[in-house]
Amino acid sequence: MNTVIQAFGLVFQTDVMIAIVASAFYGLTVGALPGLSATMATALLVPITFYLSPIAAIATIITASAMAIFSGDIPGCLLRIPGTPASAAYTDEAYAMTRKGQAETALGICLWFSALGGIAGTLSLMLIAPLLAEFALSFSTYENFWLAMLGLMCSTLVARSSPIKAIAAMLLGLLITCIGIDNPGGVPRFTFGSTDLLGGIEPIPALVGVFALAEVMRALTEREPPKLEHRRLGSILKGQIELTKKYPKQQTRGNIVGIIIGVLPGAGADMAAWVSYAMSKRFSKTPEKFGTGHPEGLIEAGASNNASLASGWVPALLFGIPGDTITAIAIGVLYMKGLNPGPTLFTEQASSMYALYIIFILGNIIMIPFGIIMIRLASRVVGAPRSAVMPVIMIFCAVGAFSTAGNNLFAVWCVAIFGLLGFVMEKNGYPVAAMVLGIVMGTMVEQSFVTSLIKSDGSILPFFSRPVSMVLSSMTIAALLWPVFMWSLEKLRARRAVAA
Amino acid sequence: MLLSDKITGGVMVALGATAFIYGSTLPPVPGQQVGPSAFPMAVGAALVLCGTLIAFGIGRHFEEVAEADVASHSAPDLHEPLPAWWNWLALLPPALLAFYALASEALGFLPTAGIMVVIASLAFGARPKLAVPLALIAPFVINLIFLKLLRVPLPGGLLPFPW
Amino acid sequence: MTDSISRRKLLKGAAAAGAAGLIVKPAIAQAQWPSRPLTMICPWGAGGGTDATARIVASLLEKDLGQPCNVVNRTGGSGVVGHSAIATAAPDGYNIGMLTVEISMMHHQGLTDLTPASYTALALMNEDPPGVQVSASSPHKDIKALAEAIKAAPPGKLKASGTGQGGIWHLALVGWLVAMGLKPDHVAWVPSNGAAPGMQDLAAGGIDIVTCSVPEARAMIDAGKAKSLAIMATERNPQFKDVPTLNETLGVNYSVGAWRGIGAPKGLPADIQGKLAAALKKAFDSKEYKDFMNARGFGMKFADPAGFASFMAEGDKAMASAMKAAGLAKA
Repeated sequence: MNTVIQAFGLVFQTDVMIAIVASAFYGLTVGALPGLSATMATALLVPITFYLSPIAAIATIITASAMAIFSGDIPGCLLRIPGTPASAAYTDEAYAMTRKGQAETALGICLWFSALGGIAGTLSLMLIAPLLAEFALSFSTYENFWLAMLGLMCSTLVARSSPIKAIAAMLLGLLITCIGIDNPGGVPRFTFGSTDLLGGIEPIPALVGVFALAEVMRALTEREPPKLEHRRLGSILKGQIELTKKYPKQQTRGNIVGIIIGVLPGAGADMAAWVSYAMSKRFSKTPEKFGTGHPEGLIEAGASNNASLASGWVPALLFGIPGDTITAIAIGVLYMKGLNPGPTLFTEQASSMYALYIIFILGNIIMIPFGIIMIRLASRVVGAPRSAVMPVIMIFCAVGAFSTAGNNLFAVWCVAIFGLLGFVMEKNGYPVAAMVLGIVMGTMVEQSFVTSLIKSDGSILPFFSRPVSMVLSSMTIAALLWPVFMWSLEKLRARRAVAA
Repeated sequence: MLLSDKITGGVMVALGATAFIYGSTLPPVPGQQVGPSAFPMAVGAALVLCGTLIAFGIGRHFEEVAEADVASHSAPDLHEPLPAWWNWLALLPPALLAFYALASEALGFLPTAGIMVVIASLAFGARPKLAVPLALIAPFVINLIFLKLLRVPLPGGLLPFPW
Repeated sequence: MTDSISRRKLLKGAAAAGAAGLIVKPAIAQAQWPSRPLTMICPWGAGGGTDATARIVASLLEKDLGQPCNVVNRTGGSGVVGHSAIATAAPDGYNIGMLTVEISMMHHQGLTDLTPASYTALALMNEDPPGVQVSASSPHKDIKALAEAIKAAPPGKLKASGTGQGGIWHLALVGWLVAMGLKPDHVAWVPSNGAAPGMQDLAAGGIDIVTCSVPEARAMIDAGKAKSLAIMATERNPQFKDVPTLNETLGVNYSVGAWRGIGAPKGLPADIQGKLAAALKKAFDSKEYKDFMNARGFGMKFADPAGFASFMAEGDKAMASAMKAAGLAKA
């Protein structure tokens, strides 16, 4: 108990409080700008943490990343442009709600369930960290392969389109990840002698292109939509309690899936959102409402990505293994501040650990008032004329991609080309979210498959014989066969009906 | 830019076939059972399969169901359809980005972004009264955000940021 | 965007004033270096050891030179993209970059034309030797037992990892195997996306050996999931006193290392080179740098411009023969 009191003492210091408030606003701003990811927001904080006390340094990382992941939902909801990759899975859904005049409900869901998800993730971090970490450590490349395959299968579920076109779009994304030399063989592929292509296509410029730039292009070809009712947004939190009561299963499932995915190395908030959204649709009683502005999937995916953020710290704190890029940066900061990751952190520096938990909880609580302020500020953008907002977004597309790629103009070319591609794909019923999924997961699929075969001397047996891989492979195969099974069942029933 | 499924499916087949053929020419890596050629070839082959299915209109049924769902949940479009040439306006934003990639190093961020904002804003139907001040202020504010908040230096060119 | 004319006028005025400021500034700019912010290109991603080192050096330069020094992560292509960006930047003293050991390796693989001679050397800041790590549950108690086991095993039976195909830690393994009189592929290399996934796979039982540096393996060692048997260096690392060198245990005299240094594009004026080198020396000697490197467990090694240039040239030659032996060099 003494350590807990000590921990409160560590957190409630002036410098820590200032750090939390400042990084909260910073994270909210960066997250809301299209093309700037939560990872970038965190990376830019590193030099500042040099000059902070250890607890304040960790507090800035935790607060800024949590805020940025939530705030990525805001432009997605208001303009159909996801602020961070983690919001891409449910952008269409949130925007559909806005078009129906329910912007405040959609944003409220994002905020409320993000905060609850973050707190659930923190509780998991506190209670089952050691257990979860042991589980994650048993993941070898065989398990990672199945995990990536499961992730890819979500592509057919997130989109309202023909599953064949969704798979084609996903394959296109996989093909794009072949470009460059970042493959297990270190062999240049599809580079045509260009240094920039040698580095491959990064997900961020592609994402900015297909979502943000394509949205600007679409807006140019369409008449200005009828103004959303010109009014202040109503109460953001109104109705959230009812929604919490109405969809408890969805929320819990989102939290659990988010926590599990967060703990696994290499899979972060992006994947958590995709998997949860797909799961929500799969198990929903009304899957046909998905994509038309239905809160169910939004609740589950919003709860999931923020939960994964906290649980991603479990392997980071215990073993120094990053759960995602954000925790990779956090590990560096932990070392720098003498809080070396490892099991001893939980025993010798217990008060620091409790302080970290408190910051997580605190961060997710202040997310609600700060998030409301941000939503109010951002909602004015929707009231502004399209001819003022869209050009500015276009500049952000260029500069955001340029800066995340290390000031490389090649990224701007990528945005332009992916904008065109996304526009044409969208017009012809190819879901762009599926392609982005392919780009995000491609390297993991190939890497885990090739290295697994090297380790097993070419045998595919370990893909099925290891305990966890057995479970994951059966899940993947079941997910593959399920639609075929349902289809034949329906055919059979129809035939019986005709016969009878 | 609405193309028939025959054309887009055909493009997918062509892309997949190219990837398959190119992939098959990649050298194996000693010590790896599956070389760098396997993944592009597998993806290419799958893409050929999907493209063929799309070209023959298989799975089209799902799209019709989805479109009907969306249509039944959204407000009907009361306006008459826009003339076909409007679609070509879509090429403007990528063209402006290409302009940025070519000109920003020489001109600097502020002038380049200013020109882009004016053109785009006018294309969206803004009056010069809005477009010109926007083109002066927005790039300046964006530069400020990137330089001070995110510490990303943007190209200076002819007109570097004053501080 | 509102109808308020007065506000719009005000904003116009502000913009005009800003524009006036813009024009005056460049005139004085050329007088004294540094008069504007510096950019440091880091060829590796945010969160890694190279990025952290770049950021601490940049913050110390900023303190010393009185101008911001912005770190820019130009990643991809196993370092090729970032290194070529450093080489092609303007040699005006405002563009510097982090050079890493890969610059002496990539051109032997035919991935780029750039060599260490394509840069103006400024300072060597760090070097880390590879270690030999095995899982905590491994039956091999020390490096001798592991070496015997490697020799006894059929080729390709044991697996090692720690970086991509042809990366520095792959070469470290190959060099060690050759020094023991074995074939370069006697232990199969499993490419991984950096040291951390390699260590994770070691703990998960997927592979047998990881030849990354000891600081990279540290968290897993502290967690009791892995142990470090030896380092491939001429002397022990004061940070990890208990880990012996290969020479003292096996009598194998083999050492390589992953180094990091600061460089600039070719053609940097000599006076600016001198000023930058002095600032970097000051940064290296500072307490902040020492504290940071010790906290991360990174090895510190300094060389001035001339020393760094000859260090890179020698390393380049050594890499040429090592990579040829490993069959990784393009003929």
